[in-house]
Amino acid sequence: MTTDLAPLLLEDTPIGPTAGGLYRRQNVYTGLAAGIFLGFVAWLVAHALWNSSNWGTDMVVTVTMVGWVIGFNLGVGTFNAPLRWMLGHDQTYDDELYAAGVGQGKKRYYKFCTDHKVVGTQYLVLVVVLFAIGGTLAMMMRTQLISPHSSFLSPNSYNAIVSIHGMCMIIATIIMVTGPFTNFVMPIMIGAKDMAFPRLNAMSFWVVVSAIPPLLATFVLGGVDAGWTTYAPLSVQAPPAMDAFSITMIVFVISVTVSGVNTIVTIFTMRAKGMTLGRLPIFTWASLVGAALSIYAMPALLIAFTSMITDRVVGTSFFVAGQGGTGWLWENAFWIFGHPEVYIILIPPVGAMLEVASTFARKPLFGYKVTVAGFVAISALSIMVWAHHMFTTGWAPELAGPFMVTTEIISIPTGIIFLCLIGTLWKGRIWTRLPMYFVYLFLWNFIIGGVTGIYLSDTPADEYFHGDMFVTAHFHYTLLGGAMIAATAGLCYWFPKITGKMLNERIGKTAFWMIAVGIQVTYFGMFWEGFEGMPRRVAFYDPIFQHANDMATGGAYLLMLGWIVLLYAGINSLRQGPDAPANPWHSKTLEWKVPTPVPLANFLVDPVVTSDPYGYGEPEPVGPLVMPAPDPDRELVPNLSSDNPLVRGDD
Amino acid sequence: MSSDHPVVDEPPVLPQGDSIVAGRPFFSRPVGKIFIIWFLMTAVGVLIGIFAPHHLMPTFLSHEGTDVWRTMVLFTILAAPVAAVVYAVAAYSLIGWRHRGNQDDPPEDGPPLRGNSTVTAVWLATSSVLVLVLLAWGLTVYSAEEVSHPGTLQVDVTGQQWLWTFTYPGTGVETRSLVLPINRPVQFNVTSVDVTHGFWPAALGVQVDANPGVTTVIRATPDKLGNFTVRCSQLCGLYHSFMYAPGSVVTSAGFSRWLRSEGASTTTGQATALVKKQ
Amino acid sequence: MAEETEAPEQPAGSGDATRRARSRPLGFAITLVIALIVFAGVGLLFHAQAYSSPAGTLVATDVGTSTVKGVALKHVTLHFNTYPDASGSVNGVPIHPGGNPAWPSYGPTNQYQVPAHALVTVTIRQYDSGGALNNAWFDKVRGTVGGTAIINGKVVTSINPNNVGHTFTVRGTPGTDPGFFVSVPLPLVPGDSQTDNGKYETIVFSFISGDKGLYAWNCEFPCGTSIASFGGPMNAYGYMSGFVHVV
Repeated sequence: MTTDLAPLLLEDTPIGPTAGGLYRRQNVYTGLAAGIFLGFVAWLVAHALWNSSNWGTDMVVTVTMVGWVIGFNLGVGTFNAPLRWMLGHDQTYDDELYAAGVGQGKKRYYKFCTDHKVVGTQYLVLVVVLFAIGGTLAMMMRTQLISPHSSFLSPNSYNAIVSIHGMCMIIATIIMVTGPFTNFVMPIMIGAKDMAFPRLNAMSFWVVVSAIPPLLATFVLGGVDAGWTTYAPLSVQAPPAMDAFSITMIVFVISVTVSGVNTIVTIFTMRAKGMTLGRLPIFTWASLVGAALSIYAMPALLIAFTSMITDRVVGTSFFVAGQGGTGWLWENAFWIFGHPEVYIILIPPVGAMLEVASTFARKPLFGYKVTVAGFVAISALSIMVWAHHMFTTGWAPELAGPFMVTTEIISIPTGIIFLCLIGTLWKGRIWTRLPMYFVYLFLWNFIIGGVTGIYLSDTPADEYFHGDMFVTAHFHYTLLGGAMIAATAGLCYWFPKITGKMLNERIGKTAFWMIAVGIQVTYFGMFWEGFEGMPRRVAFYDPIFQHANDMATGGAYLLMLGWIVLLYAGINSLRQGPDAPANPWHSKTLEWKVPTPVPLANFLVDPVVTSDPYGYGEPEPVGPLVMPAPDPDRELVPNLSSDNPLVRGDD
Repeated sequence: MSSDHPVVDEPPVLPQGDSIVAGRPFFSRPVGKIFIIWFLMTAVGVLIGIFAPHHLMPTFLSHEGTDVWRTMVLFTILAAPVAAVVYAVAAYSLIGWRHRGNQDDPPEDGPPLRGNSTVTAVWLATSSVLVLVLLAWGLTVYSAEEVSHPGTLQVDVTGQQWLWTFTYPGTGVETRSLVLPINRPVQFNVTSVDVTHGFWPAALGVQVDANPGVTTVIRATPDKLGNFTVRCSQLCGLYHSFMYAPGSVVTSAGFSRWLRSEGASTTTGQATALVKKQ
Repeated sequence: MAEETEAPEQPAGSGDATRRARSRPLGFAITLVIALIVFAGVGLLFHAQAYSSPAGTLVATDVGTSTVKGVALKHVTLHFNTYPDASGSVNGVPIHPGGNPAWPSYGPTNQYQVPAHALVTVTIRQYDSGGALNNAWFDKVRGTVGGTAIINGKVVTSINPNNVGHTFTVRGTPGTDPGFFVSVPLPLVPGDSQTDNGKYETIVFSFISGDKGLYAWNCEFPCGTSIASFGGPMNAYGYMSGFVHVV
């Protein structure tokens, strides 16, 4: 019984020396070792069984990669809890606490840890690593394109780099907000203690980690020469690297789908008392909509890549003409995923950006309900536009009109988002701190990206622009200039809460200007290339495109430098930055009401919510959060460990 | 007690400061300043629309290509005022509504403007009308392309890794140069022998993929003499970058001469019509 | 609520603030250097991965001048071969080291150099078996002087499209001499030939090289694997593909 007024923090709960079982010895290194071991065993078995068959190498590569994925996850502890449950030896409360990171200090970041804040931080590091890999590959491409007929890369290497740059960035952008921020911030924002399924949360992270080595292994397996979209039948023709690529995507899809389910269930079932759907912060709505879209779209990709593997490994002919298949089947299945996917990428960062806009304009969100309706409308419509990627394929020309209609209509709810943004800025008191810089950059970039998207949605115009650099510039403006910049706004915004340090604004602002100018120069250079008629995904180009390429390459180097400076700002602030107060931005959402660093259970007492978090300029009747006074006689955290005599039974 | 005129004790108090509806002259109010910024930005956008596509895009040699150029100009001119609204408000927010002074502490809160149904309705209505205009334009241009004309020249296009070849049915001519007679509608019947390629004669303003096992169709009418390049627009493997074919639009007489020089047989049908054209 | 965010005044040359101020440019420089090293390292790895034949570039041999249609042109010759697999070597230099030894390959190298606007006479020994073309268009000799080639001593303008071993097809890289095009079919060696048995077809042809620049050549006979037999060696740079440098 505690008579102390200071509540016992969950992370201070004493747990036994054997709590956690196998988890105690497992971390990312054991995962690596187990993955390599099981992958090697799988390789031996597959080699023995199938090497002499027609598709020998493809089968061997596929089985090896599956062995790696299963081995890695076994080694890091993903399957411990369900396996123990199946063996009738379920986890005890102590084990669960250990799994949540109690008593491990910084080591818990290298392990399977169910604390959503740890998972969020792990995702943040993974996203930075993925952007570094994808960015390095982009630098390889731009370096090749310095001259029209460069001997830096062979045509093979260039195509492989194009493909992995694309897919690495797609993976990174899909998880760049839903990984770090939906995991870390969203549960606190809704007043919950964790996600609905903490173990699945940790599983999603480690499964993505296991998917990355096969993606990188493609460079030594012959290279994927079919772009990130891996159109069939070129991808059926591709070297065994394509099998590794397919395994990466299947595994990634599993992770994102599980994560999406987790998000949706959390938002619907774990909101604090008083947190009605109408008081939900816009970032939570955005995460919800993004998650719903992902559980719709991801399975389409799963089907596509599973069929790709069977086409390559066992000789089915889904995508091979002449044997009853068609490349159009691949294109349809892929884009049924691919178009919603860009909104999965875009909507959560836009939600984060709107939180920043409201906080730094010191005003409520303009048109909150209409904006939520806008998100829902964008997602619903995004399901019906996929074939605008196929205007020039020759497939179903009679459907070009309807898809043009649905695609252009999507601009209407997208416009609502802008209305919300500028309405929030209207007559605000604009506090120009670093996160707000990125909000303005998003606004500038996304208008350009969106307008050029309208050009492409016009079928006759697309008949000129499809497959040329104009398309590349368009989607970089929307995905990098829009979504990634909005995510960066979120990063700068939540950096103090996640790391406990203030991000160095002077370095950050230097990085901002380099990134802002770099984006314009690089991608206007690419628009220029596209106007002139330079195709995409070419390692060698007609010298008439030289000047445009010079502009794009110069801008790319500046842009990359800007990101490096931002990375430096982050590292520098982590090591030497001033400690952050609990609410440096004086924001009203719930995550700012908890101390920094955030306690394990987030809230010491379950919060009761009485209004939405946008009450700027309005008198605060009770405030958005009421915490009942702690009852000194009541044990706030039940001590269920075996140390407790009540539990032991000898009282 | 009824009264014919309400007794007014004092004049109504006009809202001070940055009011939208009353008081100071238009251009010294925020709305006025935003209007100026909007007007300048729209002007820049319109100028970009008028000059940039023309200077940056290649000379189009066909009716369809000219349509692409016209679409770019129209869409840019229509997009300019819309983009400018967003940009102007954002720009003014940094001029007129920025918190200057101590950046460590947040400024006082702004007015609690949670929404405005009129503004939202106008915004939605305007964007809907704009989308309708763009759709009407695009659908009209697209349906004009789909019409097949009598006397259309048929050209079979074969894509393979990594070369284009063009066959003129009925003449027995198969070549790697695409030569077309001016002012004659042409229909490209495109297919591939291996993977998906993109048949893209950019200066003709059209393209269609070459898929194995199917024939896809695209039409164009060249209306200007000149040379152009056919490029591959769909990544097709190792030498995708090199999949170029030279093309030209020539006079009818020049076209017949060229066909003959390529060894056109003078069998009946399309061949005769092509070869004997004056 | 004013927060003290600056470190308190300290004498210059000592204390946290100065240390921080001095460490920042150094820290930034270190980050930049690490990034550049990573880029350079990755770049070198990819550059090294690009297949480069140990035999280097085969420079055409100068044999004087020749007259073609009344114009005197520099005359050079080139000799190279096509092998059924890459396991062998030419003059002690392996054909495609580090690659797949089972794949057919041109040799001794895939990079050739000729002068611009010169008469180039190419002799190819074709050691490999073959089959039918994907597109019969490639059965014809195109772009050579007179539109002919000499196969095993006989002058021909085309060969049987079902008996093709490989083709040698050259065109300019984008923007380089769009009118230039040479494609010569190389007939197969009947039976299942190996390099050892020494049977080969001899193909000799001449063409006039184009403007200075980079030209890409590849084989258009489906001697690979997978879809349309254009996978495997056909899709991997260096076996059935390369460049002609016209200088």
